Amino acid sequence: MHMLDLILVLSSIGAWAVSGLMSLGGGWKARLGTGLGVLGSLAAGVGAIRALAGAPPATLNVHLWGLPVRFELDALSAAFLVPLHLIGGLGLLYGREYWPEDLPKGAGRTLRFFYGTIIASMSLVFVVRQGILFLVVWELMAVSAFFLVSTEHERADVRRAGWVYLVSTHLGTLALTAMVILLGHRLGGFPWAPLRGASPAAVDGWILLLAFLGFGFKAGVFPLHFWLPGAHASAPSHVSAILSAVMLKTGIYGLLRVSSLLPAIPRGIGGTLLALGAFTAVFGIGNALAQRDYKRLLAYSSIENLGVIAMGVGLGWTGRATHDPWLVALGFGGALFHVWNHAVFKGLLFFGAGSVLHATGTRDMEVLGGLAARMPRTAWWIFPGVLAVAALPPFNAFLSEWFLYRGLFAALQRGYPWSAVVALVALALTGGLAAVAFARFYAVLFLGQPRSAAGQHAHDPSGVMLAPMAALAILCLALGLGSLLLLPMLDRVVAVIAPGAKPMLVSGMGRDLAWITGLEVLLLLLGGLALAWIRRSPRPDPALAPPTWDCGYAAGTTRMQYTGSSFADGWSVHLPGVRSHMRRIKGLFPKPLRFRTEVQDAMGDLLVAPRMAALAERLLWFRRLQPGFLSVYLLYVLLTLLGVFLWMLLRAQVLG
Amino acid sequence: MSPDFLIALTMLTNFALVATSRINKAIQLAVVQGVLLGLVPLAMGLGRHVHILVVALAAVAVKGWLIPYLMRRAARQLQIRREVDPYIGFTVSLMLCAAGTGLSLLVAHSLPLKPGTPYPLLVPAALATLFTGFLILVSRRKALTQVVGYLVLENGIYLFGLLLVEEMPVLVETGILLDLFVGVFVMGIVINHIRVAFDSVDTRHLAELKD
Repeated sequence: MHMLDLILVLSSIGAWAVSGLMSLGGGWKARLGTGLGVLGSLAAGVGAIRALAGAPPATLNVHLWGLPVRFELDALSAAFLVPLHLIGGLGLLYGREYWPEDLPKGAGRTLRFFYGTIIASMSLVFVVRQGILFLVVWELMAVSAFFLVSTEHERADVRRAGWVYLVSTHLGTLALTAMVILLGHRLGGFPWAPLRGASPAAVDGWILLLAFLGFGFKAGVFPLHFWLPGAHASAPSHVSAILSAVMLKTGIYGLLRVSSLLPAIPRGIGGTLLALGAFTAVFGIGNALAQRDYKRLLAYSSIENLGVIAMGVGLGWTGRATHDPWLVALGFGGALFHVWNHAVFKGLLFFGAGSVLHATGTRDMEVLGGLAARMPRTAWWIFPGVLAVAALPPFNAFLSEWFLYRGLFAALQRGYPWSAVVALVALALTGGLAAVAFARFYAVLFLGQPRSAAGQHAHDPSGVMLAPMAALAILCLALGLGSLLLLPMLDRVVAVIAPGAKPMLVSGMGRDLAWITGLEVLLLLLGGLALAWIRRSPRPDPALAPPTWDCGYAAGTTRMQYTGSSFADGWSVHLPGVRSHMRRIKGLFPKPLRFRTEVQDAMGDLLVAPRMAALAERLLWFRRLQPGFLSVYLLYVLLTLLGVFLWMLLRAQVLG
Repeated sequence: MSPDFLIALTMLTNFALVATSRINKAIQLAVVQGVLLGLVPLAMGLGRHVHILVVALAAVAVKGWLIPYLMRRAARQLQIRREVDPYIGFTVSLMLCAAGTGLSLLVAHSLPLKPGTPYPLLVPAALATLFTGFLILVSRRKALTQVVGYLVLENGIYLFGLLLVEEMPVLVETGILLDLFVGVFVMGIVINHIRVAFDSVDTRHLAELKD
């Protein structure tokens, strides 16, 4: 019976692929394609939730081009398939209005085609259990994402973001190819099945290192994150939602899957990942604070959240290395819970950012403002996402970070001080900075008064775009309040990631969550009562109300509000990538001066880009091999042929 | 006629091809070589297989009539008769061709091929023809002579294919023939475009297309 779940997932993959193809046709075919995609998401969602709810893993063995291939749906795959098909299906609906098919700019049809292929290939990434095919579907996903990112390829910055992404993802694939080969040697074949009872070997460390390099590029862990902000900001918003909410997580999935195949995790590697994740989190949120482009801000916040997830994985690996089931449960459980939470709230935030972009046409938050009065529904539905990303109760992300705090304190008690201390400080700092960054995000975009004409006439999108946001917003709260129900599922997933570990979350965290949920419900009730009591008094006449943030000035202008940059000034000036440009003030009656700041990524723009430019300069030498004469190219062929002949001739002598 | 004799004649046409500067003569020699090669399978006594017979006849027809017809027409339209000023002079080309042939004779014995072929000249001649084709392609300037080089190159491949002729399915052979025909056809069009664009068929001008 449980085979049915796998069949549901596989048929959903087919449905998405067909949906992409149909959308190329346009008209009724595109509408049918959308329907197919939504149906596919429902099917995969049902299959994956059944697998999470306790169905045994379903396996399908087939032969493809003479190679044995395995497809498997277990709790770990299902844990990633659920957010994929949630955001994927909602994004498809959202995209119907956000990026209409017959838009003159960009290619609406190719956008839909690659949207179908990315969902299909990503689903395959989660169910394929064979090295070679894994690489194939991984590449398919990466290339689809490239085409999605460069949808608006008529703009130079979009093209650049697309190329940077393409190069980064291929560097990652290079490492993954080596990893798959090593893993194939270790497992004795390309099909992936956990090695049980084998003794640890030195090659395990290399496999994990290569996996970290390859999957880290996708997940955007600190030194490998530089492709991410540009790509996420340039893609259409519902695509950004998919990239950020799910595609980054394929990196985490890969790390978890590969480590689950190995019999043991070498000591020290968990602590390293913990520290790196901690640094990534602080770095990401620090940069998010400084951004003017609100989609880049969200992208940096994704880096932060992936850092938090990486901390969880590092903690879990430490637990596996020291055979500590409590750390394993809290680390992996927290990481997975955060994967779900981040998918939900970041999907919501990107949908919301897309609505703002759709209404105003600009990604610069300094020219917007006061949108809450003009787009009240968007402002209302995005608010839970803002609270969730700041890890405030009663929303979902608070709980996953709670798991991590519990795990880190447990690690501290067990005497792995350095990484746990670093991570605890970083996690606390990240939470605080995230609250500041998203207070800024919400306040500058939605509160105050419009800073330019761009946002004057903004209006709410229609229900097609609002409904997905509403669904995710409700889910943010539901995941926060219903977390007790999720514990058994998390236990099942942890059992896959760390074979042989005892399930401890239900027994260990149940009391915590019950208390927290009770308190949260109480607070919500009290808050609701307080609100009702305030609303009881008659509202003042809106005609008499002063403009927002008037502050009693006689003739305030909109330029007298806080700007996004001034709000973040206290924190962001210390970042290495921030540059301020202002001339010195001279004389008693200075002329008008302009002040300008720009933010560059400390890693990508300041470190990698100049070196890449220098390397490209050097590689120009190879252009000399390309004179453009046909004869010379043929000569190369001839010389190669002669070289092969000579080798044949001399082989016997050289090799003896 | 023994196949070895035909193969030896093929090798001689290689030398003549490399040494000639007149385009008409080069085309003529390429035709002779093509027809000689078309006859080789018949001389080998493979005429009893119907498919080999058909392919050999098709090869003779395409190489002996269709391709030279196309090329002569192009030469007439373009009004060129001679290959002047090649990258590698005719004398040096001749010496290189000799060296290549010698090398082929040497190498042919060290190739990991099926032992015991009854025709000892077949593999060296194939390699030598291949080499000659390349030499012409590399050393000549006029697009038309380069097409001749391409023909010779294909002849070498065809000769090599004869080694396996009894196992080679008819599809592969007709594929090679079709490939050759399409190649010449396309190059004919390209030559015309080069002429229209640059007012000459000197392939040096193609370097201007480089970005």
